[in-house]
Amino acid sequence: MATFELYRRSTIGMCLTETLDEMVQSGTLSPELAIQVLVQFDKSMTEALETQVKSKVSIKGHLHTYRFCDNVWTFILQDALFKNEDTQENVGRVKIVACDSKLLTQ
Amino acid sequence: MATSTTSSVYIHVIEDVINKVREEFVNNGGPGDSVLTELQGLWEMKMMHAGVICGPIERSSAPKQPAPGGPITPVHDLNVPYEGTEEYETPTAEILFPPTPLQTPIQTPLPGSAATPLLGSADNSSMYNIPTGPSEYPTPVSDSGGSSDVKGGRQYMPSPSPTPWMSQRPPVVDVNVAYVEGRDEVDRGSSQQPLTQDFFMMSSGKRKREDFATQYHSSGYIPQQDGAGDATPGFLQVSKGSDSLAGRGTVTSAKREMLACGTRSSSKIPQLDGPIPDPYDDVLSTPNIYNYQGVVNEDYNIVNTPAVNELQAGTPAIIAQQDVVDDDDDEPLNENDDDELDDVDQGEELNTHHLVLAQFDKVTRTKSRWKCTLKDGIMHINNKDILFNKATGEFDF
Repeated sequence: MATFELYRRSTIGMCLTETLDEMVQSGTLSPELAIQVLVQFDKSMTEALETQVKSKVSIKGHLHTYRFCDNVWTFILQDALFKNEDTQENVGRVKIVACDSKLLTQ
Repeated sequence: MATSTTSSVYIHVIEDVINKVREEFVNNGGPGDSVLTELQGLWEMKMMHAGVICGPIERSSAPKQPAPGGPITPVHDLNVPYEGTEEYETPTAEILFPPTPLQTPIQTPLPGSAATPLLGSADNSSMYNIPTGPSEYPTPVSDSGGSSDVKGGRQYMPSPSPTPWMSQRPPVVDVNVAYVEGRDEVDRGSSQQPLTQDFFMMSSGKRKREDFATQYHSSGYIPQQDGAGDATPGFLQVSKGSDSLAGRGTVTSAKREMLACGTRSSSKIPQLDGPIPDPYDDVLSTPNIYNYQGVVNEDYNIVNTPAVNELQAGTPAIIAQQDVVDDDDDEPLNENDDDELDDVDQGEELNTHHLVLAQFDKVTRTKSRWKCTLKDGIMHINNKDILFNKATGEFDF
């Protein structure tokens, strides 16, 4: 199963990266092993999103910037409205980074 | 704040990762289980500090799942260009930025256009559009079609016939197109010369100027001796022309004479003072004076344009001048674009705490309306982590 490194920028990914950084710097962990942990995180996170998450969200907003580079779409929205089943959130500015889902199914 | 589902998914991910890397930690001289436990503890602590998982975590004493995944699959390298099938709507880089601008072979003038500056300028208008290259967006077809020519066959091109109607194009100067001085001169100098010669022969008979034909070729300037006139208006012409051109430099003698003769045809001024800088260039860019050019055409003063003078147009000086003009046109536009992008980028990287990470299934655009379907996303919005399986986006640009 191919994976994206995309989710390393999420909160859980950043927390893991920081932890690994600290442990590598303190010498308790080898950098190679740290990389393996990150790769496993990519897999586990992708899998969990596929299998455990069922919610749907709708996003509306003013598209300030769009960019498609290396098969990654980047959108910067202004005054975006996020709606899911329970709540809705207003955001003045939000960035959306999306990789091509077809890359995983190849 | 963490939604309960997000929290539980995160906890599941942490446990999954820890379990699946356990083998690496314990075997092969790895650092051991204690380091793995330390890793998990630190990770979960940071997550709780970040407020994305609800503690305390019920430690399920690490149920040793038999790692089913087998060997770790290498992460897909996103730096490698994606070479998938073309079935989905997302524009690829080739569509957005074609490698080379299409160029239709319209450099050759239309028959009969050489003698008339009008048609010649119509030619020019289409030439000028070529450097702009294909555009992602449909342009109004009414804009003289010059831009449509070069974009034929591209994805968003509404008008499917790129070149055939070139032949029916009316002799109209496209005033929407920026006039770049010098290009037409190169063009005319190279390709229109024979036609000019033909007209020369034809109407010179009319005007009884055969005597001067050889003289024009050799000397490079025209002593206009067929009509009465004095030199003063000619000089006026010179000063006016050079003022308006503001030192732009080289202009074809061909055009100079066309214009000069055209303006002086009524007063019958012999031009004895050599080539004249040409107000014709300014005329081209203004539609009002264009009508006036029509009068020039009827006057067949084009006869006075010898081929030798035209060849002078193709001097390197003109090409250099062309470059300068191009730079003037292009540079500010590109710089501004880059600056804007950079600003946005930096601003976003520094200031945005709201982030959505996802995979896209489809991204489409109709005019300024964007629609996208995303899946498997993590959103961090207003200090909340929200996961989604599917998301639909509707944006207006």
